[in-house]
Amino acid sequence: MTRLAKSSSAIVMALLIGALGTASVHADRNRARTSVNRSKSVKVDSSRRTNVDIDRNRDIDIDRNRDIDIDRDVDIDIDRDRDIDVDIDRYGCCYHSGWGTAAAITTALVVGSVVNTLPPNCTTVVVNGFAYRQCGSTWYQPQFYGSRTTYLVVNPPR
Amino acid sequence: MKQTKHFGAALAVTMALVAPAWAQSPAPAKPAKDPAAIAALDSMAAYLRTLKAFQVESATTTDEVLSNGQQVTYSAKTMILAEMPSKLFATVSSDRNERTYVYDGKNFTLVARRVGYYATVPAPATLRELDDVLSEKYGIEIPLADLFRWGGPNWSNADITAAADAGPGEVDGVTCQHYLFRQEGSDWQIWIQKGAYPLPRKLVITTTSDPARPQHSAVFKWNLAPSYNAEAFTFTPSANVSRIPMAEAK
Repeated sequence: MTRLAKSSSAIVMALLIGALGTASVHADRNRARTSVNRSKSVKVDSSRRTNVDIDRNRDIDIDRNRDIDIDRDVDIDIDRDRDIDVDIDRYGCCYHSGWGTAAAITTALVVGSVVNTLPPNCTTVVVNGFAYRQCGSTWYQPQFYGSRTTYLVVNPPR
Repeated sequence: MKQTKHFGAALAVTMALVAPAWAQSPAPAKPAKDPAAIAALDSMAAYLRTLKAFQVESATTTDEVLSNGQQVTYSAKTMILAEMPSKLFATVSSDRNERTYVYDGKNFTLVARRVGYYATVPAPATLRELDDVLSEKYGIEIPLADLFRWGGPNWSNADITAAADAGPGEVDGVTCQHYLFRQEGSDWQIWIQKGAYPLPRKLVITTTSDPARPQHSAVFKWNLAPSYNAEAFTFTPSANVSRIPMAEAK
């Protein structure tokens, strides 16, 4: 466990350093249009849906960039593995995956911030018909953001 | 037809005569809008709207431009079953995730099967309006939406600024004609089946508003006599999924 904690914090440092190192390099990130018949709003839509960078920019301004740093450095991985992570998470096997780092970071998350992945060992709680995930003392509301699933940090719903 | 050809030849001669003046002008020559290519698109669009129900399987690729300018291409397999104008069942299985879209003309549900979540929102009365609402309000794109937007109400070819016939082409063994179109923000190519059933068989869209010019491509396999029952379009949550909200686009 100590070893895990050490390697986790090493990865966190690496992520943070990596983030600092590339903070000024980003630009808008975009996705190819998938329709020739949609109105102009689609362009906004498609960039918003997949544009982790835009999210990060916004968040840096209000000083909750820590979780977003994860997004930037592993952009591609997160996109690819988003669902799989949670599946893995369900079977409680995330130790080797590096995603344990999220736990180290998310303990200080502010209500209203959004993350793409959850720390391990969360439980699902249904309140008023909607699913919440409780991870330690932090509560998340899963939501569709575009067709992505993201997790909004919320106050305990009950 | 012969007259048209003569007219075309006369036009070509006239254009050749005018060309030196253009060469001196800094503005590039306006690309041609081939009436035959436009007519082919129109007849495909009109034919699509005669279909009451159809099932399409499609292999798609979609480029994303990363913040360093590098592109990553994602593949997906899509299936849509549509009963026009107001019912849809669709699945998209990509490298990243699986999504199911269910629409019965009253409610729209998006399901993320692997993670076990779904969201349901009230929906407008037609697929076309649903695509508008989802893309504008929620940032969700209905897969293969062009297939029910072409030829529908409010559709027109007026946005097309250039059109050309690229000649014959084969898609999955089907003989097609290959056309090129240009409109604001996109250059696109379509392969339309030859003969009495002018179905789109392949679509490639290049996003020209992005300097990286990311592409989306889709190959369509059509089933014009799908077997299904009405329940296909109604979502009933299983024990494996729990409800979550659909965040509105900011």
